[in-house]
Amino acid sequence: MAPNRQPAGLRRPNDPPLLILVSLADGPKHGHALAKDIEGFAGVKLGPGALYGAITRLEERGLIEPLGSDDRRRPYRITSSGSAALAGALADMRRVAKAGLARLGLDGSLA
Amino acid sequence: MTPAEEPGSRREDPAVGKLLRWYPRQWRERYGEEFLAMVEDTLDGRRPTMRLRLSVAWGGLRERGRQAAVDWKEAAKRHDVYGRRWMIYVIGFFVTTLPADFRASLPPARAWQATAALGALAAFAAFIGAAVVAGGLAALPAMVRFLRGGGWRTIRRRVAWAAGATAVAGGMLTGLVLASRSQTFAQLNESWAYLLGVIVTSLALMVAIGLWISAAVATARHLHLSPRVRAAQMMLGAVTSIAVSVMLAVNIIWWSAIQSSVLLLLLGTTGLAVLIPAATMKMRRAVRSGKRLRRTVTR
Repeated sequence: MAPNRQPAGLRRPNDPPLLILVSLADGPKHGHALAKDIEGFAGVKLGPGALYGAITRLEERGLIEPLGSDDRRRPYRITSSGSAALAGALADMRRVAKAGLARLGLDGSLA
Repeated sequence: MTPAEEPGSRREDPAVGKLLRWYPRQWRERYGEEFLAMVEDTLDGRRPTMRLRLSVAWGGLRERGRQAAVDWKEAAKRHDVYGRRWMIYVIGFFVTTLPADFRASLPPARAWQATAALGALAAFAAFIGAAVVAGGLAALPAMVRFLRGGGWRTIRRRVAWAAGATAVAGGMLTGLVLASRSQTFAQLNESWAYLLGVIVTSLALMVAIGLWISAAVATARHLHLSPRVRAAQMMLGAVTSIAVSVMLAVNIIWWSAIQSSVLLLLLGTTGLAVLIPAATMKMRRAVRSGKRLRRTVTR
């Protein structure tokens, strides 16, 4: 079965919007914390321009939302539509990864 | 008091604050402070690196491009911009090809065709200029009211960007004209350096045109135009759009004369033939929309 067509920014594992959604999946974070977390789990260093470009798009699409803050650092959290979009994108990626691993004879490598 | 001025906030390096200039005003107002906070956290007291500056510049320019696209979409809905985006950008390309085209020696059998096409191009260019001036004059009283009410402050940055881009594009076009003078049409036609110059100048012209349109749209958003003026603007918009399309087809016919190309001649004449019914439909739609607009207001 062909994978579903995901929205722009959620198709490749290193797309900044996808990385941001993954980072926010375990709780709200502000810009710098997001960049650090993404570098930690994906090894991708997002510059401020790329990070805030992706945050702008995600907020416009209602996939993340800002939280109130007294500080200049505004945290963001993933919305329910953001969680659904992330789940869909990751399921597609898992399907492709499973197919690839099966063809390599490494079926058990992906839980 | 802005968040940056609040106790406990940092803003030691003016170079960091300057990075925000790459972004459009609306974006700065929404994300500016948190963006700067993130940059400062990343730098941790160090000076901005070239990599960071490039990342911010690229992000800012992309945001400006996106903002211009949003403005365009709004303008298309409101029918207050002349012509379609692609046509205006194509004109940017055609203008840059003119210096080389004027160097071409015409085959005698095609001279009449080139002369007629060039005459038609000049006439349509004058017509479009007159239509744009007429549209501007119709909106002039509203524009004066807007400027007297302190509106200049809201549009001056966009106008400055557009004027700067125009100066750059104008300089490049002048360079192209000067470069074309010392070479024949055949030499220009085969020169990769000249082709590169044409492409870069086209892009500069497109950016300049895009910025002027963005400035015009931003201004139009603040103008209070009467239904009558808006209906007239719609008509002028339709007429101008048709005239630009005709110019593109005629330009292809001119090229066909210069290149002695039957294929280009067929393309140009087919374009003109297709334009007749399309133009008629467009005018009817504009007239209907104008009538509807006036009826809605008089009810």
